[in-house]
Amino acid sequence: MALHTCPPPDLDEWLEKYPSVAGNYGHLLLEQKKAKDVDLFATLVPYFESAHLDARTIFHEFIGIDLHPDAAAGLAEVSYPSSLHLTTLKGFFGEALTGLIVEAYDLVGDHDWKVPVFLFRFHDDAKKYLYTLVRDPEQERQTIGRLGTDFIGISVDEDGEVDRLISGEAKWRKTLTKSAVDDLMLGPKVSGEELRQEGKGVWAELNKEVNPPNGLRELQIALKEIDPDGHAETILSMDRLLSAYSPQTVPKTDLVVIVGKGGASRKERTSFIGWEEVPAAYTAGNDLQVVEVILSDGEELVEELYASLWNDED
Amino acid sequence: MPRLDDQRLEVAKSIQTALAQENLLTPTQARSFVRCLQTTWDVELIGWSDDDSSKQLSSAYNLIHVAGIFRDIEGATSLSAIQCYKRAAEQLEWLARSEDRLNNEVPISLLAGAAYQLSGLPAMAKGLLKQISSDEEGWRLFSFFLQADFDAVIKTATNFWKNSPELTEQASSSRLLNEGDDAVSWYITVELTRTIGLISYSLRTGDQGRLEKGLEKLDAMQRMATRVFSSDIPLLMAMLSEVASGFNDASIYKSINRLAEFDLTKKSRLYTLARRQYHNGRGILWPSQLAGIERLLAQSSFALCTPTGSGKTLVANLALIKELLLIDDDPLMAPLAIYLVPSRALAGEVETKLTREMGDEFIITGLYGGNDWGVTDYWLDADRPTVLIATVEKADALMRYLGPIIISRLKLLIIDEAHQIVPADPEYAAKNFAKHSDRSLRLESFVSRILVQSPDVARIALTAVAGGAAGPVSRWIESKEDAHPVGLNYRSTRQVIGVLEVRSGSAPELKLDLMNGAPLSIVGREGSPYLRLRIQAMPQLPPGMRNSLNCYNQLEIFWTSMHFRQSGRRVLISLTQVPEQTMKWYSEALQLEEWADIMVFEPPEKPWLQEFYDETMAICIDYCGEDSYEVQLLRIGVATSHGQMPQKLRLLMTNLIERGICSITIATATLTEGVNLPFDIIFLPQLRRQSYNPDEEEAVIIPLSTAEFRNLSGRAGRPGAARSMEGLTLIALPQAPSTTANGMKPTQRRQVRNLRSDYENLRERLVAEESCVGDMDSPLALLVRTLFIKAVESGFVENEDDYLDWLDRVSPSDISDHAAMGHKSQDAQLADTLDELDGVLLSAIEEIGHMDVIDGESAEKFLTELWAKTFSTYAAVQEEWMESAFIKRGAALVETIYPDEGERKRLYQYGFPPYMGKRFDGVFEDIKEILASANSYGVLSIQERCTVFAALAGLISEDQGFGFYVRDAVKAQNVLANWRGVLNWWLNDPEASGPQADTLREWQRFVSENLEFRLGVAAGAVVARAWADGAEGHLTIPSLEAWKETTGLPWFGFWVRELLRWGTHDPFVAFVLAQGIAKTRSVAADKKPEFQEWLESEYEEIDADDWIDPQLFLQWQMSLPGRERTNAEEIVYQAQLTGTDGLLGQYTVIPIYNDGVLSWIDPAGYELAKSNVAEWGDHVDAHKSDFKMIVENGSATVAKVF
Repeated sequence: MALHTCPPPDLDEWLEKYPSVAGNYGHLLLEQKKAKDVDLFATLVPYFESAHLDARTIFHEFIGIDLHPDAAAGLAEVSYPSSLHLTTLKGFFGEALTGLIVEAYDLVGDHDWKVPVFLFRFHDDAKKYLYTLVRDPEQERQTIGRLGTDFIGISVDEDGEVDRLISGEAKWRKTLTKSAVDDLMLGPKVSGEELRQEGKGVWAELNKEVNPPNGLRELQIALKEIDPDGHAETILSMDRLLSAYSPQTVPKTDLVVIVGKGGASRKERTSFIGWEEVPAAYTAGNDLQVVEVILSDGEELVEELYASLWNDED
Repeated sequence: MPRLDDQRLEVAKSIQTALAQENLLTPTQARSFVRCLQTTWDVELIGWSDDDSSKQLSSAYNLIHVAGIFRDIEGATSLSAIQCYKRAAEQLEWLARSEDRLNNEVPISLLAGAAYQLSGLPAMAKGLLKQISSDEEGWRLFSFFLQADFDAVIKTATNFWKNSPELTEQASSSRLLNEGDDAVSWYITVELTRTIGLISYSLRTGDQGRLEKGLEKLDAMQRMATRVFSSDIPLLMAMLSEVASGFNDASIYKSINRLAEFDLTKKSRLYTLARRQYHNGRGILWPSQLAGIERLLAQSSFALCTPTGSGKTLVANLALIKELLLIDDDPLMAPLAIYLVPSRALAGEVETKLTREMGDEFIITGLYGGNDWGVTDYWLDADRPTVLIATVEKADALMRYLGPIIISRLKLLIIDEAHQIVPADPEYAAKNFAKHSDRSLRLESFVSRILVQSPDVARIALTAVAGGAAGPVSRWIESKEDAHPVGLNYRSTRQVIGVLEVRSGSAPELKLDLMNGAPLSIVGREGSPYLRLRIQAMPQLPPGMRNSLNCYNQLEIFWTSMHFRQSGRRVLISLTQVPEQTMKWYSEALQLEEWADIMVFEPPEKPWLQEFYDETMAICIDYCGEDSYEVQLLRIGVATSHGQMPQKLRLLMTNLIERGICSITIATATLTEGVNLPFDIIFLPQLRRQSYNPDEEEAVIIPLSTAEFRNLSGRAGRPGAARSMEGLTLIALPQAPSTTANGMKPTQRRQVRNLRSDYENLRERLVAEESCVGDMDSPLALLVRTLFIKAVESGFVENEDDYLDWLDRVSPSDISDHAAMGHKSQDAQLADTLDELDGVLLSAIEEIGHMDVIDGESAEKFLTELWAKTFSTYAAVQEEWMESAFIKRGAALVETIYPDEGERKRLYQYGFPPYMGKRFDGVFEDIKEILASANSYGVLSIQERCTVFAALAGLISEDQGFGFYVRDAVKAQNVLANWRGVLNWWLNDPEASGPQADTLREWQRFVSENLEFRLGVAAGAVVARAWADGAEGHLTIPSLEAWKETTGLPWFGFWVRELLRWGTHDPFVAFVLAQGIAKTRSVAADKKPEFQEWLESEYEEIDADDWIDPQLFLQWQMSLPGRERTNAEEIVYQAQLTGTDGLLGQYTVIPIYNDGVLSWIDPAGYELAKSNVAEWGDHVDAHKSDFKMIVENGSATVAKVF
């Protein structure tokens, strides 16, 4: 287990940025301007390895315990994360990239965001197996189709106490089109109708999100495990948030990151989500930051990048 | 300690103070609880919004977080953590039971169950989770685990492996990770199933190595879950992991391993015992039990004072093992434990339970009252460790004849319900002294004598009363001034006390006043929470019924109970007195037309339950008669039980209640003294016992003691047995007169007020007692003081000095000419109280000094020793004169009152107080003469046999001292006048006419008090002395072979008490019933021709006494075909290894049968081997059994090992 300490690399050479801030709404469009190359990997690998180090340790410990009665200790033939399925890796990539963006770019409110530990959450559907104890092939497809992950980062004051949280979702779509993004943000349509399903979509999720957000508890657990002394103030301030009887909160920034290849009809320097004003469907009232990342060779990038993590060891 | 931990604690404490103080609910919490009750009871709900629910949910999460902070910093045993988990669990439980739809993923009940486990309340976890089921297999798996139902976990997991055979290959897990994008989720699921299965299996078999591996994996998994899952899944997994590690700490194997250090050679036997505990669902110990065991490991004697339902029995069982099995070091003498219980009914229950759990280790025998030796007393001669379960009366009687044998074998004394050492009510006790019926005195006297004779004997006092008595009891039991009880105020379930408010023409309302001893109220609202029951109002009763408020009140209870029964709740209607009156009213209600619909009862469908019901019905008809109330009520599924009921019938009734065949029970306190039965609700119509004193011409009112009430209410809502989560004890209070006659209203209004003030008074006492610790009354000190006060009142003495002089010389006969005659005059009572004290002293002198010649000086020495061992010495600050009085009187007894050594011995052995014994001497020879001349009893006709008994009874029928004695009530006097009729009826003379339904209990009372007890004691005393006179030396062990020769009596002498006990004139019938060969007297009698035929075929010369020779009965019984044993031989399966190299040599396996092939699966879900089998008969409960595979010399075999 280790904290994520690697500073975010500068990606300006690779991604063109188009930031904007309107009141408490920030929008950032990142467009890939240069094909992936060796330099890019050299830039990304240290950050991604740092981001994944905690999860890798935890995962290896977990699979290292073999319950077969004859088992000798620690026979892990699987390397995390490189040997996982591409779809899973795309989710991981989206989350690590989100962390990188949050730490490296100027976003709404100009906060100094930190991601001390990446949680790398699975999609909600992934939990179903746990309570059904059945692996249903139908179910499998759905899981693949709906990528996404919760993300959480913090800002701390000079005393080390959490003074602001950023949380939200990173979504990967193979091809980004207006209708795909609408489905994602507003919820899918009721079959055969123009109406959309109520309460679905990223905006609805954000509107419902509690404060303190999901993930804070887990982040605190990770910090307690890894660095209880170094992060004592942060842990203490999180306790206040997590045990608050009469709600004691710190302000929160909501974050949406969508990643994918631009569809054929997409023009450069255009965004799917309007940057001028807060989208009408978002009603939570927090600071909101939207990031659209348009990658031309995203899937290959993910595959190659993850294949090169811990290359020397695995 | 990491930096800032103190500040983290501060945060946690502030939340604990706001949300989780013991017995203090916030207004919202209280409303949530009430709403939950209302939902469960399906009554009108208080106002409540979805927002209220989600706030309760999130504050429950806050509390869980706070509990986590306490655990982080103070460790898993942090009391604050436990308190926070408990409140979180309650909040979650109330939400779950209100069936709220909340936006959460993990069912709230699972989180609640986990939180209950972490707060040390496994019974609550189990109670809740049992009620809420899920269709999802995974949730069910977790639910079983959180209930500590490991057999069910293993069954569920085994099913999983059966349906997914591809997952049982050794490489399946690592292969899985490369299959598909959902691989990790599925992998986690599969591994979790492996882990939970392995942990469950390892727990129940005590396989520590694999258990730890499973726990390690579960911990790694929860840390993994923290990273990869969102919302409550990581929380649930973290709690599962903590609960699992708590199971590890609280597993009985941990305690067993420590116990085994006393004698390592017994370890495997102890393991079998532990495994059996798991089999019975009791492998994980409760905090109260762990505390008890901790003490048991450290010392031999202590008092365990934890509330009813906290699992004391297990501690007692382990004490038996420790003292009799592990540290007994005398190879020549089989050790003995005496387990003292407060009632004969409880002796039966404890005997059954102990036999079930430890019958392989010990001879366990229950002794039921009386003073001689019977056919079931084979233990005396046995060379195995023995546990005698007895009331103090029986144990005391046994000591008089077999004292030296008992003392030399005795290693452990267990005193159940030890708080009964404290006299319930001083005034009442004072009366009982004169009647020689005070049980607390007998207990103090008996135990103190044992402590003097055998100071090293281990002793354990069990008591549910943690309040005032606990301290003195523990000091007494340890004989140490600085002793402290193991006392956790641990309640395994929630107990609520309240009122059933009844008013004519409306449905009753429940008012809930106390929860776990503390007032339950909602801040900002007046009064206690109410539930308005949605049942039909009871139809107006006919005038004859409604004109009695008591009758009306009890019928309201019955009406309500009948409705509760329909919703599956189990009800006890607990009566303080005159149960026959209640039974009569209820039987009469059966005739009311409007009641017909709710009286419908379907006897159980399952054949074995039907059999229990039919058997009880047959015996009820046998002993009570076809027209009795008992039979009428049993026909509609209502069980009855009271102290005068024949023992056999009472046990069977208990059985019906235990198995849920009868869900309504009407009983007096004798049913519930320490007996565990599954009731959801207990109703009390009265909180007092009332009698009439004709001499003073006034009513004598004795309020129900708090100890009795606590014991009773502790029986409601037994862990896991009840339908509701709360045990409810409700006192029925009419709100207005039930009569419509104006003339009767003032009386009823007064009665209404009395009922209410009795309840308020009780409630105040209960609340006050929760915290109070004070000096206790002790029986012996009370006796000495009572005697003094009475002597002053009667003008015999003026002060303490006078009193001492007076004790030095006075004999009961000097005080009254009516001494020891059951006379009620003041002087006679004083004489009888003195005789009672003399009885205590004489027993002590005879027992303690039995080897030596006793004079006044040595008596003083013994008695000084004895006084130092009495409860009185430890209970209260004693005044010196009391001890002096006690000792001085003892010396006087030896020197002047009963100077003849032979007489003292004789009087001691009779078991009566000495002066009464002296009077009994007058009839001794006459009784003996009748017994001795009954040598043809075996061939007498029924009438002749009845005549023999009548002659015996005639000798004592007019002596109210040792003979027949009844109350002044006309009904009782009538029965006494007809004692011959009652006797013939009881001896089962077919020509005798029995009682009417409304006099049955009076007859039964006469039978139990006068025929079974007084006549039995008189005859038994003669028989026992005949034996003692004939025996050579006091260490001679009685035996059937030597009985006739030693006593010089015919076999009738042997049987006389058994006949009175079973209600038959025929020794054969008594034998057959005692041995359990037949259940009813008529069935037993039907067997007689078989015995006759056998006897005539075996023997040629048969004389009259041979027909009732118990040795011949036993021989005949041996000749009966034995029951066939089913598991004749152990099956060994040959197996081919498929998933292991077999190098470990031994593997635990679970069978999965599929189409002629048995797969042997490791508890973690890996197939290890296969066997081909033609058929598989063991499948039904295979998940409850353990199988072991042995691999040696290249071949593998599997056998069932548990």
